[in-house]
Amino acid sequence: MLDVRPQPALHDTVTALTQRLFHEARLLDDERFEEWLELLCEDVSYHMALKSRRFRADRSAPIAVGAGNVFNDNLARLKLRIDRLRSGFVWAEDPPNFVRRVVSNVEVLDADEPNEAVVHSVVVIHRNRIDGQTRLLTAGRTDRWRKGGESWLLAAREIALDHSVLPDSNVNVFF
Amino acid sequence: MDVADLVDTSTGRQSRSIYSSEPIYRQELERVFGRCWLFLAHTSQIPQPNDFFRTYMGEDDVIVIRQKDGSVKAFLNTCTHRGNRICRADRGNARSFTCNYHGWSFAPDGALAGVPLENEAYFGELDRSKFGLVPVAQVAEYKGLIFGNFDPAAPSLEDYLGDAKFYLDVWLDALPGGTSLVGETQKMVLNTNWKLPVENVCGDGYHLGWAHAGAMMAVQSMDLSGLSVGNSSANLEGGLSVAGLNGHMALTFLDGVSGYAFYPDPKPMLDYLEANRPTAIERLGKTRGEQLWGSQINITIFPNLQFLPGLNWFRVYHPKGPGQIEQWTWAMVENDMPEEIKATILDNQCLTFGLAGLFDNDDGDNLAACTEQSRGWRTSQMDVYTNMALGRSGAREGFPGDIAAGLVSEHNQRYFYRRWQEHMQASSWSDVPAYNLNSLASREAVDA
Repeated sequence: MLDVRPQPALHDTVTALTQRLFHEARLLDDERFEEWLELLCEDVSYHMALKSRRFRADRSAPIAVGAGNVFNDNLARLKLRIDRLRSGFVWAEDPPNFVRRVVSNVEVLDADEPNEAVVHSVVVIHRNRIDGQTRLLTAGRTDRWRKGGESWLLAAREIALDHSVLPDSNVNVFF
Repeated sequence: MDVADLVDTSTGRQSRSIYSSEPIYRQELERVFGRCWLFLAHTSQIPQPNDFFRTYMGEDDVIVIRQKDGSVKAFLNTCTHRGNRICRADRGNARSFTCNYHGWSFAPDGALAGVPLENEAYFGELDRSKFGLVPVAQVAEYKGLIFGNFDPAAPSLEDYLGDAKFYLDVWLDALPGGTSLVGETQKMVLNTNWKLPVENVCGDGYHLGWAHAGAMMAVQSMDLSGLSVGNSSANLEGGLSVAGLNGHMALTFLDGVSGYAFYPDPKPMLDYLEANRPTAIERLGKTRGEQLWGSQINITIFPNLQFLPGLNWFRVYHPKGPGQIEQWTWAMVENDMPEEIKATILDNQCLTFGLAGLFDNDDGDNLAACTEQSRGWRTSQMDVYTNMALGRSGAREGFPGDIAAGLVSEHNQRYFYRRWQEHMQASSWSDVPAYNLNSLASREAVDA
């Protein structure tokens, strides 16, 4: 039996959104944060949950109140993080770290909303830090991109971080 | 190595070698982590029978397990046969723990419950009672906090905490419902010696306005210390630096609201404080109920537990060699809080002092560089100093401990290193001095 949903998106959409992800990665690598903000919807949701290692058979109740988050951001909070990074007082970023994102495994699917697409991708962030050491952060991402006029804007990003112990002293980067 | 030369409390001097030397670190594992009461888990993290939580005592991997009768036991997380780790999960609920290597299985009470081929291969001659999991010598709870101690000769947890309980209870016992830790564990590797983050939080108000200036500029409501951004001015009258309590410490404001005033929308928090203030005063007395409960307070339990009522983070540092730690953080709530406030606290703690915390992310590199600058041939022979406001402390009406005014003083750090030195010099607990300076009980006795 054919799996009719989710539908792979049309070729033009795949190309446009793949290019969008690459462009976004380059803006962030170059710390062009204000231009990055222009790629986000007003109601953007940017989220990375905390998790733990559990036995597959474990059936214990979820934590009351919730798991907590690394990011639980709306546009205002993302701007707050950028204000901090732009303050000139974030010593961990001066001199700048060498940061490069590799975005891969891009899969573009039609969303339920006609003007939206679901985009899965993987991002690997190389950070060569002030101590000369390189840290690699890997995450899977599930995005919802929304078409506004001719342009695709990020409506939601759910980020799955692939580290049970963060191998770096800060997360002064966007995924 | 002569520990007497490594720290000089009277001048506030420390040898940098204490942050980098491998022999000193091995001695710390024995004399500090092998002897002190170490935080294992909060009772709220293992509520049901067979709930378990994995942690470390020094570098030793430990499982903490809720028993059928409600008590708590803790065991070294290692198979008694060939030494493999028996529990690989961070937390959960399990009726038994089975070793991956040969299939020995252990019950939650530590008993060796199953051995494959016990009759065929061991000829029925294995005395299972001698191969149960190795328990942590002492496990005790203080108002929700479960601690373990490897030393059977250690004083009781109550005696160990001593007069620090006066400050601990501001968080743990202000309201009848008690407290919880919430959220998954926020774990981060930092390339720092474990003592540096402890001293940073236990007494270093000095760094706030400078190291965190970027976050303070972005989040205007978060004036954490009475310091202005860039350390250009300071309000030194608004708080207390409290030490002289068996190595435990507090840094506290005295306004009764400053902890929650930092929240972006403080009104629900302040309403909650106002509604519950009479209960807190009834339970803690006027001084603590009015001045401390609700204030921003940094509490340190020697050697590696710290928590901050107000910003509501709770943290332990697990050493991984002289130059590395795992830093574990949770959000903490009072059980009497409405669910919306608990959720706000968890969210705000993650935003400010979580893995991508606006404030937390400023500290790691400073501590790492202080560690690295203690490792060279020349730098390892140098000293560092906590010599601010020497000799400017004393008794204060209504509060136990040796107390300096304000949060910008290096008073607490000196006591932290003094305690570290006392443990490092002592070959057993009988050589470790006990002191609770300016205890309220003794002062009342004198007054009477």
